[in-house]
Order: sequence, then C-alpha cells, then structure tokens
Amino acid sequence: MLDASETKTVTFELDGEEVTVPEGYTIWEAAHGQGLVIPHLCHKPEKGYRPDGNCRACMVEVEGERVLVPSCIRPVAEGIKVTTDSERARKSREMVMELLVADQPEVKHDASSHFWDMADLNGVTTSRFPKVESDHVPLLDDSHVAMRVNLDACIHCNLCVRACREVQVNDVIGMAGRGHDAKIVFDQDDPMGDSTCVACGECVQACPTGALMPATVLDEHEAGDSQDYDREVDSVCPYCGVGCQISFKVKDDKIKYVEGIDGPANEGRLCVKGRFGFDYIDHPHRLTKPLIRRDDAPAKGLNVDPGNLMTHFREASWDEALDFAAAGMKGRGREVAGFGSAKCSNEEAYLFQKLIRQGFGHNNVDHCTRLCHASSVAALMENVGSGAVTATFNEIENADVAIVIGANPTENHPVAATYFKQFTKRGGKLIVMDPRGQGLKRFASHMLQFKPGADVSMLNAIMNVIVEEGLYDQQYIEAYTENWPAMKEHLKGFEPEKMAEICGIEAEVLRDVARTFAEAKSGMIFWGMGISQHIHGTDNSRCLISLALMCGHVGRPGTGLHPLRGQNNVQGASDAGLVPMFLPDYQSVKDDGVRSAFAEVWNMQDLSDENGLTVTEIMDAVHEDKIKSMYILGENPAMSDPDVDHARDALAKLDHLVVQDLFITETANYADVILPSSGWYEKNGTVTNTNRQVQMGRAVAPPPGEAREDWWIEVELAKRLGLDWNYTHPREVFAEMKLNMRSLDNITWERLEETAVTYPSLSPEDPGQAIVFGEGFPRPEGRARFTPANVIPPDEVPDPEYPFVLITGRQLEHWHTGSMTRRSKVLDSVEPEANCSMHPKTLRKLGVAPGEYLRLTTRRGTVTVMARADRAVAEDNVFLPFAYVEAAANILTNSAIDPYGKIPEFKYAAVRVEARDAVAAE
Amino acid sequence: MTPLDDQDGIWKKSGTGKSRKTTKGRQVDDVAVEQVRELLGERPRRRDHLIEFLHLIQDRYGHLSAAHIAALADEMRMAQTEVYEVATFYAHFDIVKEGEAAPPALTIRVCDSLSCEMAGAQQLQSALEDGLDPSEVRVLRAPCMGRCDTAPVLELGHNHIDHATPEKVHAAIAAGDTHAHVPHYEDFEAYRAAGGYAKLAELRERGDFETVQQTLLDAGVRGLGGAGFPSGKKWGFVRAEAGPRYVAVNGDEGEPGTFKDRYYLEREPHVFFEGLLIAAWAIEAETCFIYMRDEYPAVLEILATEIAALEEAGLVAPGYLELRRGAGAYICGEESAMIESIEGKRGLPRHRPPFVAQVGVYNKPTLVNNVETLHWVTRVLREGGEILSGVERNGRAGLRSYSVSGRVKNPGVHLLPAGSTITDVIEAAGGMLDGHVFKAYQPGGPSSGLLPATLDDVPLDFDTLQPHGSFIGSAAVVVLSDHDKARDAALNMLRFFEDESCGQCTPCRTGCEKAVKLMQAEKWDTDLLEDLCQVMGDASICGLGQAAPNPIRLTIQHFPDEIKG
Repeated sequence: MLDASETKTVTFELDGEEVTVPEGYTIWEAAHGQGLVIPHLCHKPEKGYRPDGNCRACMVEVEGERVLVPSCIRPVAEGIKVTTDSERARKSREMVMELLVADQPEVKHDASSHFWDMADLNGVTTSRFPKVESDHVPLLDDSHVAMRVNLDACIHCNLCVRACREVQVNDVIGMAGRGHDAKIVFDQDDPMGDSTCVACGECVQACPTGALMPATVLDEHEAGDSQDYDREVDSVCPYCGVGCQISFKVKDDKIKYVEGIDGPANEGRLCVKGRFGFDYIDHPHRLTKPLIRRDDAPAKGLNVDPGNLMTHFREASWDEALDFAAAGMKGRGREVAGFGSAKCSNEEAYLFQKLIRQGFGHNNVDHCTRLCHASSVAALMENVGSGAVTATFNEIENADVAIVIGANPTENHPVAATYFKQFTKRGGKLIVMDPRGQGLKRFASHMLQFKPGADVSMLNAIMNVIVEEGLYDQQYIEAYTENWPAMKEHLKGFEPEKMAEICGIEAEVLRDVARTFAEAKSGMIFWGMGISQHIHGTDNSRCLISLALMCGHVGRPGTGLHPLRGQNNVQGASDAGLVPMFLPDYQSVKDDGVRSAFAEVWNMQDLSDENGLTVTEIMDAVHEDKIKSMYILGENPAMSDPDVDHARDALAKLDHLVVQDLFITETANYADVILPSSGWYEKNGTVTNTNRQVQMGRAVAPPPGEAREDWWIEVELAKRLGLDWNYTHPREVFAEMKLNMRSLDNITWERLEETAVTYPSLSPEDPGQAIVFGEGFPRPEGRARFTPANVIPPDEVPDPEYPFVLITGRQLEHWHTGSMTRRSKVLDSVEPEANCSMHPKTLRKLGVAPGEYLRLTTRRGTVTVMARADRAVAEDNVFLPFAYVEAAANILTNSAIDPYGKIPEFKYAAVRVEARDAVAAE
Repeated sequence: MTPLDDQDGIWKKSGTGKSRKTTKGRQVDDVAVEQVRELLGERPRRRDHLIEFLHLIQDRYGHLSAAHIAALADEMRMAQTEVYEVATFYAHFDIVKEGEAAPPALTIRVCDSLSCEMAGAQQLQSALEDGLDPSEVRVLRAPCMGRCDTAPVLELGHNHIDHATPEKVHAAIAAGDTHAHVPHYEDFEAYRAAGGYAKLAELRERGDFETVQQTLLDAGVRGLGGAGFPSGKKWGFVRAEAGPRYVAVNGDEGEPGTFKDRYYLEREPHVFFEGLLIAAWAIEAETCFIYMRDEYPAVLEILATEIAALEEAGLVAPGYLELRRGAGAYICGEESAMIESIEGKRGLPRHRPPFVAQVGVYNKPTLVNNVETLHWVTRVLREGGEILSGVERNGRAGLRSYSVSGRVKNPGVHLLPAGSTITDVIEAAGGMLDGHVFKAYQPGGPSSGLLPATLDDVPLDFDTLQPHGSFIGSAAVVVLSDHDKARDAALNMLRFFEDESCGQCTPCRTGCEKAVKLMQAEKWDTDLLEDLCQVMGDASICGLGQAAPNPIRLTIQHFPDEIKG
C-alpha cells in the first residue's frame, strides 16, 4: 500500500476555501470530506459503484467553464475554483429535483427513500411541471415473489443497471428505449419473475427511489417505508462459505429485510439466499420445545410429518430432555459417535469435538466437510502443508488468468462469482472446466466441457504441455518445491493428443490452456465439489496443486489455490477440530505433544491417539453394531449421505439418537430426543469463511419458544455427561480455543467485535494475510510437494443398463438438504419441487417434454423427478440437485470413497432414465 | 422400502406444477440460432458490430423478433438485455415480442421536421394513412431525412420521394419502386483520371505533417459539423497522443435542415475520401470508421461501392475503411455518442473531459471530422488555401455551404461567403416565395433556435451569432414567412428534441418532455420555461440538451405576441 506521504495530492478552491485532497478524488468526494452535502441521486458512494453523472443533481460551478459540472464524476484538478453554493448551481440542482418530483407517484413506495431525502435537502416538495401522460407511466410488476417493481417512481438513474451489470454482473437489467420513453427492463422487457433474474436483490439495495423494493417492505397498496424498523444488527450470512456481511433490519423482533454491508468478502453484495432466505427461522415447523420419542411411537423411519410431530414425540422440559439425552450416551465410550455442524459457530464446533473427545475418550467425531472438501484438504495438507486456501478469492482482482474447475460459483458461491465475472470484464482470462456448461461459460475465454470424471487426464495433459514446452517456472520450482524430477517424468505419458479422447477436450485446446495459464504473470485456481467428490478426488486436487506450483502461481498477489468452501463455517469447523484425525488447527491426534497440550487445557490425563472414524465409516460401524448411540448437531445424514437408504437404515438401528436442530429434519425423524436449537440469526459466535476471514455473528432475533443456543445445549449436555464445563458465553470458549490454535494468534473476541480478521494475522493491527506461502510452505524445508496422479476411472461407469452419468449438486436457491431453504418463502417459491436437468435434445429422444416426470434408477434405488430442459447439461448426463426430500438424490448416489479423503463419489454414478407419466398434483 | 405415500417424513411433494420447465428466462430457440448464424456467416462476433448484425436481421426479416434477439445474444455471448437495449434505442429497428404482430412489409416514413411540416407533412401523412391498407403499408413519422429542399419528403422502403404526394406514393408502390435511387456521381476512375489522389500519394510519399497542418490553419479550415474548431489544430492534438489512433468520420448529418454532406457525397464522394485518407495519414490512423446515417441509403451504397474500389486499387488495405451504418438516432451526430454507436452500443454521449481526441473509439485517441470538413481538406490541399481564405465578406473570411429550405424560391445547398447575412442567403436562394413575407429564420438547425427577420445584417458565420443567443452550427437555414408561426416552429423543434433525446440525463430527458407540454399551452408560463431553459442549458450532458432551450428562449424574446395566449 502506498504510504500516505507518497500519495499525490491536489489543491483547489472549494467555496472560497483552499482544500487539499488525494489525486483522483472527485469534487463530490472532496466536498464530502469537508462535511459539505452535495445532493446526489445516481451516485451511490459505495464500493463497486462508479459515479455515472447522469442525474445532474450534484451540479456545481467551476470557474471558467461554460456549463455546470457534475461533481460526482469530475476529478479535482489543481487550482480549480469550485462553487457549490452559487445561485446558478443551486438553481440547477433544485430544478433537477423539481423535474423529477413532477412524475413521482401518489403512493410512496418508500416513504424514507434517498430520493425524498434529497428532495428535502433541496427544499423541493412539489413541482410546477405538468405530469407525464398517464399511458407513459409504467405499471406494477409483481411477478417476482421477492421484489416489487414500481417503475412509476423510477428516475432513470441507472443505479440498478450498474448494480446488475457492473457489481453483480448478472446482466439482467437494461435501460431500453430512448429519451423519456427509456425504461428499465429485465431481459427483453420481460416481467421480472419471468426473466433470467437470479434475485440477488442488488438492484433493490441500489435503488434510491423505492421503484425496486423487497416485497416484504411493501403493503398491498405498494406503500412502504425502508426506515420503519426498530433496530439494525450486523451479522454474517448463514449459507455458503463466502461469508457475506449483512445488516438486518428488525422490527418487532422479526427480520423485515436485509442489506449487504461492506464485509471483506462481499463489499455490500449478497445473493438470493442471503438477501431473501432469512425467513426459515419463522417457519411454523420450528421446534420450540425439547422433544422425546413417545413410547408408543411407530417404528423409526422417515415417517414424521414435520407439521404434526406429536404422533411420534412428546414435549419435555429441558431438564428431562437433557437428562434423557445424556443418559443414552454417558459411559458408553466407543458406542457413541458424534456429527458436529459446519453451520454453527467456531465455538460450538470446538465444544462439540471437545465433548466427544473428552466425554467418550475417542475421536469418532466428524462433520460434513467429509462430504465436501475432505479430499481437497487431504491433498493440500499432503503437498502444501495446510488445508486452507492460499489466497482469498478476492485476490482474483490481481490475477491475469484464473481456472475455475468443478465449481459452479454463480449458483453455489454467487457473491464470489461476481468477482470472477468482474475479472473477465477487466480483461482477465477465465478458464472454466466443467462437464456442465455452467453460468460462467459466457464469461470464459476457454470453456472446457470435459467428460465427467476425466479430471486427471485433462489436468495431466495440460501439465504435460507445460513441461514439454518448457513453460514451467524453474526458479520457483527449485526454490520452493520437491519431487519435481519424478513429476516431470510422470507427466511424459500424458500427451494432449493421447488424453483428448479420454477427457473429451481437443489437444489444441489443452495446449492453449496450458500456455495461457503458464505464461500468465499471475494465475489462480478455484475448485469445488466437482473436483473433490470423486474416488480420485485427492488425485484431482493433487493435479491442481502441481499445476499451480509448476507455474509459480502461489504466494504472490493474484495467485493461489482456492477450494471454494461450501458451508458458512466449514472452514472454521474444520479448524476447530471437527475432524476425526485432527485436534484443532489440524494437529494430529497421533502427536503426543499436541495431545498433551490439549489434555492440559482440558484438564485431563490424555486423549485418544487413534484416528477416529469418518462420516461414512461411522454409518458402517452402526451397521456393524459397533456404534449404537449418536449425537448429531445440525447435520442431516438422512439426506446428505451417499446411498442414503443405507444411512437411514443405520439411523433407525441406533438405540439412542440425540438430534439438535431447528426442525424435524429427515435425520430427526429417527431421533429419540430432539433438542430445539437456535438458528444462526439467533446467536452470537464467530465464523470463518472460505477466505480464512474470521467474522462475528450476532444474534438478530431471539430464538422462538424454548429453543436455545447450540453452545448452551452442548454445555448442559456435557455437564450431564460428567464433564466439568462452566462456560457462560462463547467468548470464553474462544479464549480457550486460542490457547492451542496458533491460527488465532492476534485475533481476539474484542477485535472481532470491531472488524473481521483474516488468519494468519501477524500483529494485533494486521488485518490478516490475504495471501500465504510467499516464502515457503509449512512443510519440511519449507517446500511444497509434487505428487503425481494417475488416471483412475470413476467407480461406476455407464453400461447398457445404466447408460447415463448422474451428477449431483446444488441449485442457487436451495441449500444442501433443504431444511432451511425449503422453509423460506422466496427460495421455495422459486424452486418448489424436485427437478433434474437434462439437455433438451436428450429429453426429445426420451420422448419427455420439459415439465414431465422422469424415473431415475441406479443400482441403489429409484427417484421420480420433474425434467427440466437445460442446454448446459451434456447430452449423456443428468444433473440432479440433492436438496429435495421427495426425490432425494442420495438414494441414487454411489458410496464408493476416495481412499485418502474418505469422500464419496457424489459426482458420478451410472443411471437409467425413463419417462414416467406426470404425477397428479396432490 | 416403504411406499412414498406412507413416508410422512417426505414433507414436500412432487407435482406442484409450479416448477420451471427450463432454466430461468427466455430459452434460446434452435431455429432462430441457425437463422442468425446463417446471416452472420463467418463474420467475427465482434461486439462493436452489434448494430450491423441487427441490421442484417432487420433487413432480412423486416423486424427483430424476441427469438432472434435471444439467439443473437447467445451467439455473441451477450446477455439478452444488452442486445435488446441497443436494438430499442434506434428508431430503425422494429422489435417484435412473442405474440405481437410483425410490421407490414412496407414502411413509409414521412418527414415531420420543420421544412417538411411547413410544406404540409401532417396533411401528407394523414392522406397516406387514410389511403393505404395498414396491413400492407405502415406510415410512420420520422425526423429530417436531409432533403429539405424538396419538402415534403418521405421514404417508401428505401426510396426517397421528393415533393411527395399520395399519388406519387401510390405509383411507386404499384411500380415496386421501394429501393434507394443512386444518383449519378463521380466515381473512383473518373476522380482519379482528373488528378484525384495525386495529393494523397504525394503526402504519403514525402508529405510533412506540420506543413499540411499550417496550410489548413492558414486557409481557415474549420469543423463543419457545427463546432467550427480549427481542423489543423485538432489533427495536431490527436497526433500528439500515443497510438493506436483512429479516425471517425461523422456522417450522421441529422440536424434538421442540413443536407450539405449528402449533397457532396452524392456528387463527388472521392473529394471526401481523399480528405479522409489525408487525415488518416496525418494522424497515422489504425483504422477509419465512417459513420453514415441510415437515412441516406444512396450514400451508403455509394460509400460501400467506392470503398471497394479504393481497396481494389490498393489505395487502402481491405478493412481499413470501416463503413458503419447508423440506425435512426439524431444523437449519434454528437461525436461521443457516435463513438458509442460505433462500438455497438446505445448512443449515449460521454462526459467530457476526457475529450475524444484523447479517449475515443475503444478508448483510444480519435480524430472525429465531419464529411464536409474533409471535402474542404482535399480542396484546400489541391487548390490552395486561398479558395477559402481569399473569400471575404462582411469582415469574415471563407465559404459556407448553406443548406437552405423553407419559404424561398430556390432551396438547396448554396455555397456562399461565410460572412453572408440572411438577406444574402435568401437572395442566393432566389428570394422569398411569391406571397410570402420574410418573418424569421433558423440559422443552423433547431439547436440554433429562431431569429427574427429584423436580424438581417448579421453574418451567418461561426462566432457571430452567439451574442444573439444562437449559432451557425451546420448552416441549416430554414426561412419562415408570415404564413408561419414562430411558436409552432419552436414546438416542432422541441418535439424533435424530445424524440431524439437519448434519455441519459434528467434536464434533457425530462426537460424536453416538460417543455413540449408547456409550449402547447396557449399562454406560455415564461417564468417556468425560463427556469427550465436554465437547467437544461447549464446541466445537460451534451449539446442536445444544452441547446434545446434556444428555440424557447428566442421565441420568448423575439415573438412575445405569439405566446401571450
């Protein structure tokens, strides 16, 4: 960063006073720095919004210029004389407001809009001008469930276009037509709800007039008031790993609407889930009292109606429920296992693993990272020495080229995707590798729609070119890596011409990609579950690590390895030790020193030195009668495990199942006791995003009924398991975590109350290191390792009986097993039922019209699901989202696992597709 | 396994009928994609060619369907709205959404700008609307077509009919005469045979920029699009910027009443071309863009033919001269809006600074010259600067091509000394029509407003009209008589601005619309209009909005009796 003393400055005269500002400041910025308020409508002084200068509400007079000057876009020049308060400038500003006020509607869609604030500032309340003809006044567009479009209030400021196109780069909103017939449109002047709008709501947040409003703020007369709330609470989004900061506007203890705020990862942006998906906490299915399975309940099965659970459960007091829960676990040692949650706070994750380890003397504690990025972490730990990202995704700002492979960020990390798309608009080359022609395709310089499961052949071919053409970074390799000669030798057999057939990408394209990536000054690699959820997931990641290392694309600005983490706190939960092989901070349970350090803090003799069982291994152990009692907090294996019937059978087999959750999840169907917990919006605690940024989550609303914060429940349970726990606040837990987690050095609860901090943070003032490993790796001699990978075919390849490839994944609106998002009005309305996507050509061949139903069958089971036409899906593939209980994708998936990461092959199964007559609506 | 219906835990059911059958938004239609691909052929899918591609579709299918727009967007890897907003900005594209009727095969555009209106355009349009089957022929109003000397005019398909009458139109329809008529002009061979391009060859071989620049400055060659900036100086600015540099010729002669560029291009196009290539030589241009208004189909044809001839003759490399076709938007005559349009976008003027000489086409330094300016570059360099500097009248030097129309006997382009007064111009144009008494005149398009007959001693040159709240602009002189009302003329002008405002800035977009409403009142609210004029003039982004108040102010000033109510 530039030292303040090095910043060039400009001095000019502002209303007769000499003012000095940094070079590049606009007159408007300079004036605001002086405390002057120049009205502004089309200018939004927020990150990502360039001033546009179109509304002319901020005109000032500059001596010597013929006409007035828009202060928002005019940079200050040395010596200019600016007058903001001249009669002429004031008159113009007032007249602009008067012109606009003339056509404002009777009903104020936002009584506290920025527009009316600015009108007040100018002293304009009415207009002398005739109104525009009534047939020119746009009508209400209420086609979208989340937002209302009342363009009668539109002032053509273009902020929504910039929001949609430049900030979020969704390119849905345009300014069509010309002159006073110009009009904000969605796509081709389509109703918003029928358009390609992804409902990120950026336009709503940007709109200064109330023309675009969250539907929740308007009444039936389209009247609303954005300032009508009791309090604002700043917290973090509960959904994906991006970790967007959000300001919640709360009225009567209910969230009224939200706005994105300037968090390090999101800079004010949100996606549809973060902006509109908060209402699940108010769903009637919320559990408000502890529940104990009735003695006369039917046999365990997926048979509880979440709206009518008294057939299976009875209400209990917290004391009774906790006693009951503890009694079924206490003293049972290895018969007990636990699944913690990547959706709770760091403190809660830490307490959970501590409870299992301390309470039962083993390490059989895991969480859903096993199903997401376990293989990525295995490869990263092996070759780089650390499981976290080497650079924040925002570093793409400094990159020339970026690879996105096996990730669909426009749906799964939508806010991160905005930065990727902006990168391409700046001229960055985006190389997208995915069996689906996903949302980033339009922005890609190279789109490699390769055959599912052929990652290693494709990546090795690219690396072969880099080796054969001498494009690698010899200096970097020598300074910072090991095992290069073996890697080089290994890659010899992977000529693109040979691999083209296997991966389905032409050799010339592979060569071009190799050159583009290797010859770039700085390159990044992003990946997701398309890489990790394979039996060769670890090999896939090894290839990506090798690719980055050989090009020297690690440790500098604009370079790095970034597995996009899925859950809001999967990074933090893993860091906190919710992993069977590691104590917090990835410290091996086999390391005596590590164990003794924890034993000391935990005030006990020793901890188990045996690696615990993973998620799928625990389920197998239940079937083998080794594990009989489980504590599952905020996880839903009855939906999320591969071959889910197998998992559900295991849950049914347990003699004691404690489930802690917000709803009767599919897993809770099998519970013996259910502990009603708080939603993310209802508690305090820290959370760590994909960027290694630790942020403070704050309670926005109180939990309903008797539902309690997860940490409180954990503590109460631990007490009943005989543990000497006396935490009274998450900050005490955080303080304990710091004792044995170097990653939290310089990060304190108090600091996090003020600001987000990226770890590692090198001093109490350091905001944290966005990029790590510039000077070597946390491995022997500081060297990263090249680990060669061989081509392994997927476990279950198509055959005549099961001729299609089934790929599972997520959709923009739904979160994982759907327990939250399917209970959110907006999200559930946009995606109301199970569907699978196939290429329209394939559907035609099958004789199935889009909207009709298909039967998908694998060796594990069958689901019936609506067919959706989607050109992005390859013609011999089926894409099936896994959020839908009525057609649970994991009934079909293969439980074969990667040998290192123990992650199942969710991304590949052989499937049969048959037409089925549409089922009648219930 | 338990049957689904027994599984109460499956709390969400299929068959809602509410789930989307496709991905979000309008789906791409395979047939439309094939049609678009066929039309585009091997052309690179350059975004700056978007308007050209839209023309291809409009020309072939007579309109732009939603399916074609979606297909073109897909083919160009753009968002639908990015294509849609460009298509809807320009008047010559007909957008047809699903379920809407396509326009009939034949369109008549009746010019309703001042000279044509004075010549009875409204009555003509009504007569045509009454006499034609709307399912076969559609009649639209349109702004100035640059044929004001033959008012009223209309365009039938691409056939311009001068002194139009319903009878002429019916005859043309019957004869299938709907294509542009290319007049006889001096082609490449003829021009070269007469010594053309010798100057260019000489300069390319051993020319000295400073000498050329000085010659132009001494001759007094100034920008004839209306701004009057000394051309030699402008060339120097652009040349001083780091390359790549471009030339962009402004052939969007849209200022109502102006037809001088068309006049020269339909007669001696190579005088212009040689000037262009000299300018390109002078600033060492990478490429030259010629932006020609779509209202001049004959000129477009001439330019395309002669560019091919120049390429054939080896005077320019193929593709060095890029002809870009406008699509019906007056604002694209504003140089930065024209550059946006060249880049395939909506024609929104850019903020200045930076100026296009520094940041122009593709954000590179760009020399923008008007067609006639380049015509005079050639003539001055071939014939000597005295052809301009040697002409003197009323203390002003040089020549001016006045486009004269209205109530005169001999309208047309009249090349006169630049110091000519309106009296001189009317005299050159054969005097007033019989039965008409000179009352007022528009000296340089509607942007210059309306001056009274009493101001008959002012030289109609650059800089001389400013003290009178007007300017010469493109020297589009329309003469009004005692048969005309100034307030009607002013309203005609503001209606034009209202239609042609790009809509970007509040003062112009809303201001023009409000002005038209206020000017329709019997009695003008002059206080409010004056407030409005002030904000439009002071706070509009470009010259359109800044000059649009001129007709209002000058009418209030000089014709107060007409607006008293």
